[in-house]
Amino acid sequence: MEELVEELKKEIIDVLNLEEVTPDDIDPAAPLFGEGLGLDSIDALELIVLLEKKYGIRLATPSDGKAIFKSVNTIAEYVQKNRKK
Amino acid sequence: MIRVVSTNITSPLGFTTEENYLAVKSGKSSLAVREHPWGIPERVCASLFTDAQWKALSVEGMTGFESLAVRSIREALQRTDMDVSSPRVVLIISSTKGNIEIMADGGEYVSLAESARRIASATGVTTSPVVVCNACISGASAQLLAQRLLEAGRYDKAVVCGADCVGKFVVSGFSSLKALSQEPCRPFDIDRYGLNLGEAAATVIFSREEDGAGAAWALCGGSVRNDAYHISSPSKTAEGCSRAIRAAMEDGERPALVSVHGTATLYNDQMESVALCSTGMENVPAMALKGVYGHTLGAAGILETILSMCSADDGEALPSRGFSSLGVSGRISISGEAQPLRGSSFLKIISGFGGCNAALRFSKSTGGSEGKKELPSVTTAHRVNITQDGVIVDGETLAMQQRGEAMLTELYRSCVGDYPKFHKMDVLSKLAFISSELLLKAEGKTPQETEERAVILFNASSSIVADKLFLSTIEDGNYYPSPSHFVYTLPNISTGEIAIRNGYHGETSFYILPEKSGRQMDDITECAFADGSVRSVICGWIDCPDEEHFESEMCIKTR
Repeated sequence: MEELVEELKKEIIDVLNLEEVTPDDIDPAAPLFGEGLGLDSIDALELIVLLEKKYGIRLATPSDGKAIFKSVNTIAEYVQKNRKK
Repeated sequence: MIRVVSTNITSPLGFTTEENYLAVKSGKSSLAVREHPWGIPERVCASLFTDAQWKALSVEGMTGFESLAVRSIREALQRTDMDVSSPRVVLIISSTKGNIEIMADGGEYVSLAESARRIASATGVTTSPVVVCNACISGASAQLLAQRLLEAGRYDKAVVCGADCVGKFVVSGFSSLKALSQEPCRPFDIDRYGLNLGEAAATVIFSREEDGAGAAWALCGGSVRNDAYHISSPSKTAEGCSRAIRAAMEDGERPALVSVHGTATLYNDQMESVALCSTGMENVPAMALKGVYGHTLGAAGILETILSMCSADDGEALPSRGFSSLGVSGRISISGEAQPLRGSSFLKIISGFGGCNAALRFSKSTGGSEGKKELPSVTTAHRVNITQDGVIVDGETLAMQQRGEAMLTELYRSCVGDYPKFHKMDVLSKLAFISSELLLKAEGKTPQETEERAVILFNASSSIVADKLFLSTIEDGNYYPSPSHFVYTLPNISTGEIAIRNGYHGETSFYILPEKSGRQMDDITECAFADGSVRSVICGWIDCPDEEHFESEMCIKTR
């Protein structure tokens, strides 16, 4: 799980172009949206693409993303349960 | 005031304005559901021309997009006796993506700049054409540009044509933004789940001379305002849309009809309802046409304007197809049935990516030509010139370590540093953003939220670098359309980035020219001062034909 959390941090920095953020800057338990990283609605959509491309998970309804993308930890839990690759 | 002398709508419902109006009035729609078109993994509901219609529309030697525009323009011209070859006639084309679907299909790149030249030549226009590429509001922006150029006496007549085609590129893009409904869309309805795309062309010809006797539709007022909020989400408080409506309605009587954008996305329709209520328009009959044609992109602002004229002439607002029960917070007057209209005037509103919003006010006029409107004299201050090889600010060359895109990042680190969103921008927006930051630094004023500053940019290559990046995410076998790449496939996002950074609620516009022409840019920029709110404009050329080459030449013009 810890490995997956670290992998996700790197992927998030990469796909969201968070140039000035390092994996160590991201607290896996902290909220991803609304504060801290300054992510917005397009970032959320890009995270949906990440889930599909990297882990083969297709979100049936995009609004499900709200609960999944709460923090890096919640994404990791969701990926572990649902990953197809 | 400029008067409408002819119109045309070319859509899957018909190839003339009359055919289209009668089809919509009788309740028809061209929206249809297709399973996995263009190899897209979803079902898609769209309004598309049939193969037989494409065959009928096709003009030899021209792309589908060009043919569509040429057919529509020719049909509109046929109804006038104007000399289209006169140097007093200008061609204004409104399109978001032009020939992009050819590239998505594996074909060659034909730029909008090149298409504009070909369309002008095929329709007999001899002056240099302008392409308005202002996202979804392009069709309204193009009419506003016509009004300004004609009223300033630059030309006597303007042929304004909006057109866009639908295919894998735009469908994948809107799908990546989760903005598409797989069923016919339902504007303003409680059960609305997104928009449908549609292809069409629409043409309106304006004249500033008195053309014949009798009453004609006249474009009496209009404006563009920016939300300065987000590049793809509309302002929750309807900031820009409300400002655009107020500016367009200045000195105008209450319209008989408001022709809304009504894309049927959750956020757009909600935002428009807030704008209409906050400007006292909640009781004016509203008409939404996306349930008939889908969102026809660059054509939408023109197509919906023309049908509003027909509606007002006919004394009833067309039914808003797909609507049944109100699903927005503002209690606007919209109906799935026809609504009686009293009076001959209407307001057209429309909003788009990049935070831009437009409002146009039309009314029936019997008046003849008016004298030309004098524009204020304008002074130019501060100039920034950036190419892949270096940076010059007010004549001084800055010492840079890097070249190319890395140099833009170096400039960001040394001169800005506090706006990490910079790293998310495409190279065109980075270039525009950095150029504007350097200009504002030279200007030395404390930034403040204002409606008095506009941002008007030009180029020849549209958003080709971002287009190619997005194309790389929708290849067969590796199909993961990227929403963040897609939003930058509209060059006007660069104007929105500057507006958001600085809190500019004034006009933001993007134009594509066949070539870099100082005279054409000056004409267009200076006539933007016809909008009484505009005190200054950040403007200029900003082009990025490929990843290695770019050029910005921007300045601040002040009245």
